[in-house]
Amino acid sequence: MHSVGRSWLLLTGFILFYIIYLLFGALVFSSIERPVEDKLRQDMEDLKQEFLNQSCVNAASLELFLVKVLTANKYGVSVLKNSTATSNWDLASSMFFANTLVTTVGYGHTTPLSDTGKAFSILYALIGVPFTMLVLTACVQRLMYPLVLAPVSLLHRSGMEPRPATIVHFVLLVVLVLLLFFVAPAAVFSAVEMSWSFLDGIYFCFISLCTIGLGDFVPGTQPGQTYRALYQVAVMVYLFVGLMMMYLLLRTFHKMADLHGLTTFLQLPRCEESDLDEDREPIVDDQREDQRPSYQTQKGASKPLEPGSQPSYNTINKG
Amino acid sequence: MAAPDLLDPKSAAHNSKPRLSFSAKPVLLNTPNDDDDDCDTRTTVMRWKTVSAIFFLVVLYLIIGATVFKALEQPYESYEKLVILEKKLDFLVMHGCVNSSELEDLVKQVVSAVRKGVNPSGNSTNQQSLWDISSSFFFAGTVITTIGFGNISPHTEGGKIFCVIYALLGIPLFGFLLAGVGDQLGTIFGKGIARVEKMIVKWKVSQTKIRVFSTLLFILFGCLIFVALPAVIFKHIEGWSTLDSIYFVVITLTTIGFGDFVAGEKAGSESPDYLDYYKPVVWFWIMVGLAYFAAVLSMIGDWFRVISKKTKEEVGEFRAHAAEWTANVSAEFKETRRRLSVDIYDKFQRAASIKRKLSSELGINTSINQEMTPGKRTLSVNLYEDREACHNLTLSLSPVTGALTRNGSLYLNGLSPDYADRREIAIIENLK
Repeated sequence: MHSVGRSWLLLTGFILFYIIYLLFGALVFSSIERPVEDKLRQDMEDLKQEFLNQSCVNAASLELFLVKVLTANKYGVSVLKNSTATSNWDLASSMFFANTLVTTVGYGHTTPLSDTGKAFSILYALIGVPFTMLVLTACVQRLMYPLVLAPVSLLHRSGMEPRPATIVHFVLLVVLVLLLFFVAPAAVFSAVEMSWSFLDGIYFCFISLCTIGLGDFVPGTQPGQTYRALYQVAVMVYLFVGLMMMYLLLRTFHKMADLHGLTTFLQLPRCEESDLDEDREPIVDDQREDQRPSYQTQKGASKPLEPGSQPSYNTINKG
Repeated sequence: MAAPDLLDPKSAAHNSKPRLSFSAKPVLLNTPNDDDDDCDTRTTVMRWKTVSAIFFLVVLYLIIGATVFKALEQPYESYEKLVILEKKLDFLVMHGCVNSSELEDLVKQVVSAVRKGVNPSGNSTNQQSLWDISSSFFFAGTVITTIGFGNISPHTEGGKIFCVIYALLGIPLFGFLLAGVGDQLGTIFGKGIARVEKMIVKWKVSQTKIRVFSTLLFILFGCLIFVALPAVIFKHIEGWSTLDSIYFVVITLTTIGFGDFVAGEKAGSESPDYLDYYKPVVWFWIMVGLAYFAAVLSMIGDWFRVISKKTKEEVGEFRAHAAEWTANVSAEFKETRRRLSVDIYDKFQRAASIKRKLSSELGINTSINQEMTPGKRTLSVNLYEDREACHNLTLSLSPVTGALTRNGSLYLNGLSPDYADRREIAIIENLK
C-alpha cells in the first residue's frame, strides 16, 4: 500500500510540477513576445492606413481581399507574382510532406486542402507513425552497439570504472551530436536560405529534431530556390538521421540513469531492454562478462525499491 | 496468440510489451529482430539485412504517400491559385488607382505579418493578443508535448533561445508525466477489462479470444472517449466539419500538429466567447489522449512485430520443412545408392563367376568386348526399353562406379568399370 501511495504522490507531484513549468514558460514567452507583437500590429495598421489613403480602395473591400489572400496563404497558396511557378505538391514536396507526417514533426507549411487528402492523411499517419517508430528503434538498436557499447567497453578496458566511463562517453556523444547535427547543419542552412541567421538555423534544427515542428522556418520553401527537389530530399535524410541520433541519445541517457539508480529512485519504468541486450550480445565477450555483474548487482540491489512489478498496464515504459 | 494483450496481468511476465520512449513519442523498443537472434555471429549479418529491408519499406511507403498526396492535392492547389489570382485581378480592375506593384508590396507585408502571428485584417482593437497568458500557456504546452502547431511561434531572438532551452528540459518532463498517466490509465482500464473477462470466462471462451476481445474493447472504448467525443465537441464549438474535427483530433494526438486547425485559437479576427474552462479542458484532453494514442500506436507497432514474427516463423518453419525434406530426400538417395552399389557389386561378382564358368567351359580366352558383342547385338533392342524405364538409376550408377573403382575390386577378370552399364547387367542376368 505504501508503494501505491508513493506512486500516486509522485504522479501528483509530477503533474503539479508540469503545470508550474507551463505557467513559468507562459509568463516568460508572454513578456518577451508581446511587446514585439504590439509593435508589429501597430505597423500593420499604419501600413493599411497609408495604402487606403493613397488609393481609391475603401476599407471594406480591402478587408475582404486580405481575408481571402490570408486564407489561401494559410494553405500555402501564395498570390505573389514570383510564386506561381512552384507548386507545393510536386513529387519532392509531397514526399517531404509525407515525411513530416510520418515522423510526426508536422510543420504545417503545406496542409491537405481537399477532404480526400485529409482522410488519407489520417489513415497514412495511423499506419505510418508506428511504422516509422519501428524503423527508428530498429536502427537505434543496431547503432547502440558500435556507438555506445563498444566505446564504453573500450573505456572500461583502458581501466576506467563502468559508471564514470558511461558518463564520459555520454558527454562525448552529446558533444558529437551537437556538432554534427546542430552546428554544422545550421551553418549550411544559414548559408543556403536567404533570410535565415545562424540562430535561426540552430532553432530550426532543434525544433525539427525534437519533432515539435512549429513550421515558422521550413527549408526549401522560398520561391526561386535552386535544386529544390534535391534540397528537400537532403533535408528529409537529415531529419531522419537526426531523429535517430536523438533517440540514441535518449536511450543512452536512460541506460545511464538506470545504471546510476535514478530510475528506481524516481519510480520510473526501467530500461528493461538492457536485460535482453546483455543476454544476447554476441561479440564482445570478456568485457560484457566484466560489466554484467556490475549491472546485475545494480539491478538486484534496487529490485526491492520498485513498486512491485506492476501487474497492470505496464506497457508504457521509457527509453 | 492473435494479438498482444496489453492489459492481461498474466501475460505481463512473458509478453514483450510495447513501450514508449523517454520523450512523449511512442517508440517501440522491442524491435522485430530481437527474437531471431540466436546468439551466434551470423545474427549480425541477419540484423542489418532485416533493418535495411524495413528501411527500404519505409522509403517505399513514403514514395507511395508522396504520389497519392500529389495526385489528390495538386489539382486542388492549382484551382485555389486560379481563384485567388482572379480575385487579385478583380480587385485591381475594380480599384483602378492601385497598381499591381503596390498591391504586391502590401500583400507581402501582410503575409509576413501573419507569419509573425499578427493578423492585420479586422480591427486591431478587439483582437485578442496571441501572447496573452492563456495563449502563451497553450503555446508552452504545444512545445513540450512536441505537437508544435505553429500558429503561434516566437519571433524574437530571445524567444527562440528560450524556446530551445525550455523544450530541452520540458520534453523529458512531459515524458515522465505521460508515462505516469499512461500507467494510471492502464490500471483503470485493466481493472475494467478484468471484470469483463471474468464475466466472459463463464461462457468458456478460449483465452486467445478473450484477449482479442479485450484488446478490441480497449481500442473501441478509447476511441469513443478520446476521439469521437472530442470530435463532436470540437465540431459543435469550433464549427468545423466532421472530417475536419476527426482530422484535427488525429493530427494532434499523434503529435504531428500541423496547425491548420487549432482548437481554441480562432484566427484572431473574431474571438468567439469560449467558456472559461474550454482551454484547460482541451489541454487535459491532449495529455490523456496522448497517452491513449501512444498505447494504440505502440499496439499497432506490436502487431506489425507479431505479424513479422509470425511470417518469419512461417518462413522459418517453411525453411525448416524444406531443409527436412531435402535432408530426407538426400538420405534416401544415399540409401538407394548404397543399396544399388551393393546390388551392383553382387551382380558383378556373380557375373564374374559366371564368366569364369563360361570361359572355362567354352575355353574362350578373348577379351570381354568381343565376347559381349554378339550378345549385345542380339539383346540390345530389348535393353533400350528397359533403359528408359530405369533412367533415374543411371544417375546413381556413375558415382557408384566411381566408388567401386576406388576399391579396385572390379578389376576381376579384366572387367572394366566403364562397362558397368545397365545393358551389361541385363545381359548378365539373362545369361544366368
